[in-house]
Amino acid sequence: MRTRVKCATPALAVLSMLLVLITAVGPAAAQGRSPIRIGEINSYSGLATVYTFPYKEGLLMAAKEINDAGGVLGRPIEFIFRDDKLKPDEAVKAARELVGQEKVDFLAGCISSGVGLAISAYAKEAKTLYFATHCQTSRLTWDDGHRYIAHTTNNVNQYVRALAKKAATLPYKKWAHISPDYEYGHNVWDEFIAYLKHLKPDIQVMQENWPKLGETDHSSYVTALLQSGADAFISSVWGAQEIAFVKQARPFGLFEKVHYISASVGNPDELEPLGKEAPVGAVTPGFAWYDDGMQKRHPKLADWVKKYTDRTKKDPTLGASWGYASAYIITEAIKRAKSAETDKVIAALSEGYEMEFPWGKVIMRGCDMQAIPPQWVGVVKMNAQGKPVLADIEETHGKDVIRSCDEVAKLRAAAADKKK
Amino acid sequence: MSGLSVGMLLFLVSVGMSLIFGVTRIVNLAHGSFYMVGAYLMVTLVEVLPDRPWAFWLALLLAPLGVAALGGVIEIGLLRLIYRRDPLMQLILTFGLILVIGTLVLLAWGPDNKSVSRPEALAGSVRVFGQPFPSYYLLVLGLAPLVAVALWLVFYRTRFGMLIRAATVDREMLGALGVNVSALYTQVFMFGSWLAGFGGALAAPTVAVALGMDSDVLTTAFVVVVIGGLGSFAGSFISALLVGLLQSFGILIFPAISIVLLFAIMAVVLIVRPWGLLGRPEE
Repeated sequence: MRTRVKCATPALAVLSMLLVLITAVGPAAAQGRSPIRIGEINSYSGLATVYTFPYKEGLLMAAKEINDAGGVLGRPIEFIFRDDKLKPDEAVKAARELVGQEKVDFLAGCISSGVGLAISAYAKEAKTLYFATHCQTSRLTWDDGHRYIAHTTNNVNQYVRALAKKAATLPYKKWAHISPDYEYGHNVWDEFIAYLKHLKPDIQVMQENWPKLGETDHSSYVTALLQSGADAFISSVWGAQEIAFVKQARPFGLFEKVHYISASVGNPDELEPLGKEAPVGAVTPGFAWYDDGMQKRHPKLADWVKKYTDRTKKDPTLGASWGYASAYIITEAIKRAKSAETDKVIAALSEGYEMEFPWGKVIMRGCDMQAIPPQWVGVVKMNAQGKPVLADIEETHGKDVIRSCDEVAKLRAAAADKKK
Repeated sequence: MSGLSVGMLLFLVSVGMSLIFGVTRIVNLAHGSFYMVGAYLMVTLVEVLPDRPWAFWLALLLAPLGVAALGGVIEIGLLRLIYRRDPLMQLILTFGLILVIGTLVLLAWGPDNKSVSRPEALAGSVRVFGQPFPSYYLLVLGLAPLVAVALWLVFYRTRFGMLIRAATVDREMLGALGVNVSALYTQVFMFGSWLAGFGGALAAPTVAVALGMDSDVLTTAFVVVVIGGLGSFAGSFISALLVGLLQSFGILIFPAISIVLLFAIMAVVLIVRPWGLLGRPEE
């Protein structure tokens, strides 16, 4: 009995001290300018960190700038981060906790489209406004769109159409593809080939390849592409899988025989590790902040890049620019609403607005609360130091390729019909 | 052909897993993590070593040894404490190791994808039966069977191999005969880790070295070991080749069901021979 009491005493002491601390901190935080709190759910462990770490840096950099300049409506903004472990159920658990216990004003985040759609469904039910900041499926604001979701970054429709627009200028009629066999892969291929045929009706599809997501051996697909008779192929495998694909395809001489068009190989997370094995000549979208043409078109870009590298000691990525833009787009919505109340912020978003960023104009479209940024397509080349870079950048604005508000309304109606 | 080389890599990983299970009766879920660490060590070594043709080969030698050392530390520091606990505890521990090693790799190497270039001499391709075939795969095709033969020699021609075989049959008796069983366990665990590390180091130039490669290989290695029979080395070899070929060609022949096919075969094997193709039924 005695020993038990002995143990219990220090435990009680610690507990009471904790209680004192909590009561001491509680009212203090509520005093003065209470921050506008945004629950940010993203994949901060495991394989997606290659995208989410730069994204978070961009987000925090913007948040610091905003708060140093006095915040919004005289209140600072604060992000509360949660790890979704790349799983929809974990993300929804985090969202519940953020809304229920942390009492956040808004939700934000997502890298995986599956996670984004899950948070979106929860946001609709909880009537909390959710800003999808990092995942790209067009379904977020279109087929599955609703009042409580805004998308602050690019969607698949825009950059794939920009890529198809470029592909239509190439002298190829016979096409093949390699796409991972899941939502995103099908989405990219469908959007790409439909828009390409729309621009250039005599397109022929020679052959299709559907490896599973995360496949590590692509030799049989490489052989199939070589024998397909196609002039060019589009790839939507991405990240580590695309690196493996490129490394496996090179010795077969695939890229010399069939022109390589890729939805993602121009991103630094793929180009850098590929190094001298990078597929020179590949046509691909990407954020080439280092490109002379880009910096001339966007004079403020160099400054922003310097601020980012000073802060993080790393080169920026597309994800970093998205994190940065997202924080400002959310803040702008609150500023226009003159309130952090959900309904008023939604009303401000529904009116739509435009913002200038160091890389160009981003339109927040009112009808679907979808961001429309500039789009870039370039060609992979080796620079003077023998490092692969994206060059010959061509810029299109998303507004010139994106589906119109009327088309979006049709998509939503069709999706609603399907549910019935 | 490329299916064969994939099979060879799988063999290296799964035979290590099978060996560890055969002797220590531990299902090492962290085996995929050892494979990943082998690949990451390869990345670092190739970066650190001077840019000479021999650097790649030295790295290929050192990286698996590093993994073996890691395996040794884990065996002595953790696994040794739980051999007598029930198997569930062991599963929880090795599962925990997956998470711990995964996080440590993220902290040590950062989130970026990495890649190892093939050595200059093996960067191209050769013609085999009129088809281009990456010459690096020839290296894999050569080295893995070499390891298989070496393994066979160790098991059936040396005292160490005899002790290992004895340990798989009756550990208590072996201990009673005055053999230092706990040292034997450490050696076997290190050897198994070495095999996983070697698989990872050898695979590194053909894939992207990235977080998540641990769980990819673990699932497939599991299937290989189950089909081949836990604790059977020849079984691992045959089933690794089978799985490798299936993964490469199944897609061409039955594209729609190629993913299911692997598990379907595993299910059939489990129904017909629950102890695997060449395994022994448990008494």
